[in-house]
Amino acid sequence: MATELITSPLPGKILDVKVAAGDKVKEGDLLLTIEAMKMENEIVATVDGTVTEVAAKPDSIVQIGDSLVSIEEG
Amino acid sequence: MEETNGGQKRRLELEAKSAAVRKLGGEQKIEAQHAKGKLTARERIDLLVDKDSFVEYDQFMKTRSVYYGLDKMELSADGVVTGVGRIAGRKVAVYAQDFTVLGGSLGEVHALKIARTQDLALQTGIPCIAMLDSGGARIQEGIDSLDGYGRIFFRNSRSSGVIPQISIILGPTAGGAVYSPALTDFVIMTRKSSTMYITGPAVVKDVLSEEVSHEQLGGGLVHNQRSGVAHFLAGDDEAAIATAQELLSFMPQNYREEAPSGVTKDPVDREDISLRDVIPADANKPYDVKDIIARIVDDGNFFEVHRLYAQNMVVGFARIGGRSIGIIANQAKFMAGVLDINASDKASRFIRFCDCFNVPLLTLVDVPGYMPGTAQEYGGIIRHGAKLLYVYSEATVPKVTVILRKAYGGAYVGMCSKYLGADMVLAYPTAEVAVMGASGAAEIVFAREIKSADDPAALRAQRIQEYKEQFSNPDRAAERGSVDDVIDPKDTRCRLARIFDILETKRDPFPGKKHGNIPL
Repeated sequence: MATELITSPLPGKILDVKVAAGDKVKEGDLLLTIEAMKMENEIVATVDGTVTEVAAKPDSIVQIGDSLVSIEEG
Repeated sequence: MEETNGGQKRRLELEAKSAAVRKLGGEQKIEAQHAKGKLTARERIDLLVDKDSFVEYDQFMKTRSVYYGLDKMELSADGVVTGVGRIAGRKVAVYAQDFTVLGGSLGEVHALKIARTQDLALQTGIPCIAMLDSGGARIQEGIDSLDGYGRIFFRNSRSSGVIPQISIILGPTAGGAVYSPALTDFVIMTRKSSTMYITGPAVVKDVLSEEVSHEQLGGGLVHNQRSGVAHFLAGDDEAAIATAQELLSFMPQNYREEAPSGVTKDPVDREDISLRDVIPADANKPYDVKDIIARIVDDGNFFEVHRLYAQNMVVGFARIGGRSIGIIANQAKFMAGVLDINASDKASRFIRFCDCFNVPLLTLVDVPGYMPGTAQEYGGIIRHGAKLLYVYSEATVPKVTVILRKAYGGAYVGMCSKYLGADMVLAYPTAEVAVMGASGAAEIVFAREIKSADDPAALRAQRIQEYKEQFSNPDRAAERGSVDDVIDPKDTRCRLARIFDILETKRDPFPGKKHGNIPL
């Protein structure tokens, strides 16, 4: 099973984390929001699967490429 | 009655010869091709063009090489089928490489056949469609095969902007072979069977000790998502060919013509009240700009280009009142719709294609600015961002801009503003056309006053509010004429239809020159 690592597409501040390890998600489901460029950017699941790890913490600052959420496909 | 001149005998011989050519690389090779989920060159052509429309030529051409037993082999059509057919009644030149013949390898004659097809397409002013499936240069033919690539690249470049060129990658393309598609207007790849790379996994491992699969290195998804080399990702051969057919419907045969008119029952004066609500009142909330596009264009049909690449910028074709248009839109729901290197590249290339082939441009603006940071500055955002300014200014096709929400600073200028040559700029009533967002602006303009106030927080809030009322709207821009009209969103389609109709006869002669020097 492939693990999909979702990384931050832009630098910003994590606002809200909607998922926890163990959650089942579908492609397109909202995972978290990052405030950046004066916008609440929605980060969504890119695959169907189970969340295995959530690295994103509310109020923390992330850079481009920082790990946010890992999803095990399937 | 039998002719006395032996004609019948000759005809039978040629029929047999032609039948042999149609057997491609033989049953075994065809089976192997099918087992990989791939079609043969001739099956692909049959799918691409209208029934019985294909006129093949040069089927009897064969390699002149005598090395390594090439002269003893029967290489059907020398591994590439060439001809002219019709798609929805419109003529197109086509060449399809045949993987069942020596792996579709490109030798001298193979290349000459392709070059001949490119010449014919250019001289007759018809699109050229390439279906690639080739292991690369035919090594047995040495330099003749390399020179063959040179001939093809030269024609790709010289044809650019004269006729549309589309590449459908339906198998491997490696080394020099990748550069012909790269020079064409659009590249379509399949998810499983197509690959493009300069050097394959074996060499990568050898030189860099980096382990990577064919698919990871240059598969369809990689080039659609990461590199931007490919514009479309299709499930299989059939879907890839169908994509090419639809794509072609939005463009003319050559730069002197207009794209064919589509037929629609969707009335151009259709109002859409829901357009008033698609954009959230809170300027910090994202939405999908494709929801706006779908409500504006004929039958909600938006043919997106580069769907998976630089998704903060959306580009693609649609029609309004049957007329083909190219749409460029900031995508608020992806990276806030910010302008960065890849988004600028993506939009610039698309705009240039549209301008080459007389497709009017519709730009939908909701942009917070350019992406800040070292990654972008070191990557050359100045150089790449400049392309957008260049291509909008250079474009002589009708250019219409609708400011949906934010239009801040340099990014406002860049997204086809009035003085980059937009023929008409419209804005929604809640649009914000300003140097920057209200909070940032107020803090700079009133910095000293806020700092020395008894209650800085209260004064800051007050000044932001005042600035917002004064400048965060399209009214100042409309007073200047930078915005031509502020419209009710429900009327967007109707307005655009009328404006594109007015601009249909627009002529904007270009200053005489060889060609410009776009910042590359």
